[in-house]
Amino acid sequence: MSEAHDPSQQLSPDQARDLACVLDEIIPPSGDGRLPGAGELGLVAFLERKLRESPDLRPAVEQGLATLARLARERDAAGFAEVPGPERLALLNALAPLEPAFLPGLIFHTYVGYYQSARVLEGLGLEPRPPFPKGYAMEGVDPTRLDAVRRRPPMWRKV
Amino acid sequence: MAEEIADVLIVGAGAAGAALAWSLADTRMNVVCLEQGDWMDPSRYPSTGLDWEIQRFGKFGLSPNSRGRPEDYPVNDQGSPIRVSNFNAVGGSTILYAAHFPRFRPSDFRVRTLDGVADDWPISYERLAPFYDLNARMMGVAGLAGDPAYPPKELPLPPVPLGKLGETLARGFDRLGWHWWPSDSAIATRPWEGRAPCIHLGPCLTGCAQGAKASTDVTYWPAAVRRGVTLRTRCRVREVTLGPDGLADGVTYHDAEGREHRQRAEVVVLACNGVGTPRLLLNSRSARFPDGLANSSGLVGRNLMFHPYSLVTGIFDEPLEGYKGPTGCCLMSQEFYDTDRSRGFVRGYSFEAVRGMGPVSTALMGMSSGRIPWGPGHHEAFATLFDRTAGMVAICEDLPEPHNRVVLDPELRDGDGIPAPKIEYTLSENSRRMTEHAVAHGRELLEAAGAKEVVAEPLLQIAGWHLMGTARMGTHPQTSVVNEWGRSHDVKNLFIVDGSVFVTAAAVNPTNTIQAFALHVADRIKSNLANLFD
Repeated sequence: MSEAHDPSQQLSPDQARDLACVLDEIIPPSGDGRLPGAGELGLVAFLERKLRESPDLRPAVEQGLATLARLARERDAAGFAEVPGPERLALLNALAPLEPAFLPGLIFHTYVGYYQSARVLEGLGLEPRPPFPKGYAMEGVDPTRLDAVRRRPPMWRKV
Repeated sequence: MAEEIADVLIVGAGAAGAALAWSLADTRMNVVCLEQGDWMDPSRYPSTGLDWEIQRFGKFGLSPNSRGRPEDYPVNDQGSPIRVSNFNAVGGSTILYAAHFPRFRPSDFRVRTLDGVADDWPISYERLAPFYDLNARMMGVAGLAGDPAYPPKELPLPPVPLGKLGETLARGFDRLGWHWWPSDSAIATRPWEGRAPCIHLGPCLTGCAQGAKASTDVTYWPAAVRRGVTLRTRCRVREVTLGPDGLADGVTYHDAEGREHRQRAEVVVLACNGVGTPRLLLNSRSARFPDGLANSSGLVGRNLMFHPYSLVTGIFDEPLEGYKGPTGCCLMSQEFYDTDRSRGFVRGYSFEAVRGMGPVSTALMGMSSGRIPWGPGHHEAFATLFDRTAGMVAICEDLPEPHNRVVLDPELRDGDGIPAPKIEYTLSENSRRMTEHAVAHGRELLEAAGAKEVVAEPLLQIAGWHLMGTARMGTHPQTSVVNEWGRSHDVKNLFIVDGSVFVTAAAVNPTNTIQAFALHVADRIKSNLANLFD
């Protein structure tokens, strides 16, 4: 096994920088400014944790980042992070058929990390907290709401 | 030290084992329960953390095959369109259940007489009714009296809130003139017997951190242990052993370290669910029972019934606050419960409302369905789905078919080397037609409620929650495994009290009936102690 697949290894600074840019393409900032991009949110650290926990994910992500860097160099950029913003999406789309395992796993974990972050929950208008212990207030059932159903004849068969 | 002999040994501390143990504690007999799981710690349930949604894909997942918990046993369900869901802990699958808690209807016990299919139960609704009432008090059942779909029944607590989502669906039912009613729910909507009231956390299916949901680790078990029942955890039973007199004389089991032990007993009761119980019986072979214990009928493992579930989800324009409130307890409809042969199938189904999803679940559902793209348009697509979905599941009555069964897998083993169960199941044409009808009418309902779009999943693969029929009860030893009070026809001191004994499945969640039956069996044991084995 190559050293690059050592599950205890951190991403290199270049890989981490490129990954942050990829994450911002997967979930870009919202147009109204309420929601950050996934890279801007700092999800690289979350993804690195997932890479350590999921040995199957790491090779696909590392290989994808390596190919992405190569594609960037072919466009005279030092890395994906140096590719001009408007061109990044096209580059990621070009990468997809070359590295079919790269995006699906990355998107899954990006969605998970993004939508459980306190900052995103606030941006969605939710309280940035888990359900417990505060819970949610709800009103009880108004029994008169069932009056029409209650007037139906018995529906159960006597035996 | 002399080996202690239990008067009654219960295998499994889930819904049925707990109810039976609590009831038998009246006798002051030496009641011992062996459970392969452990006590759960509610303070560590997923709803206590921001990652609450994703934990249902991990240690709190529905399938024992993917949870990675050492106390689980694998189930080979690759050959079934419905996958087995269960949980192994004190409380069993009630740890993860929705706590939707309807009773069977009187007609559900007379299927052959009324509809000419399957078989009648050897007991009636009237026989179980007092035990339903007792169970309602012990579990703390919330609901609203007056439902025309049922005879009058005891509901000690007020119903769970409908919320905006439930009100929206209810308007659809009203527009169509269809029956609906707030769900009977095993959820403390007020403080109840030391349990805190429901605070509408939402994710009931990964355990209730509040303790409001009636999993038996917070209902029957504390009371049973206080009354002297011995509950030993991380004890996985390998085999029920048979004495020279043809009676069960105990079990062999493995502790958490895999060491093998023996527990002797005067009476053995199995409460391991509709897959675990036939697995244990089939693993308990002897010269007298070469095909598995108590299996002279050849019916152990056969007639497996699930409830085939269809899911229809409506997408609405307005927010529904669907992340608030008990996930699976809101309202139900029995408009299509009884047989109407013009529909193209016999028996019927219930509709049950399903509340909405949190942000992570919404995003992942959107990802898998292609509705929420990555990249441009992501936020706009997310906004059209989040908090704007409401679901209805149809819980369809499966009929017993001998070829649907639990067998032992020839290769798969659990962590202690015990052969694992294998599911052989095909969806019947009757059930398929029923799901088709349910999808069409679920769509009609959601559209009447105002959904702008409806998506359907005709058969929910993950929904193998209800495991029934694999050691059916009856009056004749050739056509059933146990009698009307759960006693094996073949082995007079062996009882079964879980969903295995069900003759038919009805079209509602089975836990309330499983527990009522367990209380009924306990009652019969207590009243027949002098001649229990006659």
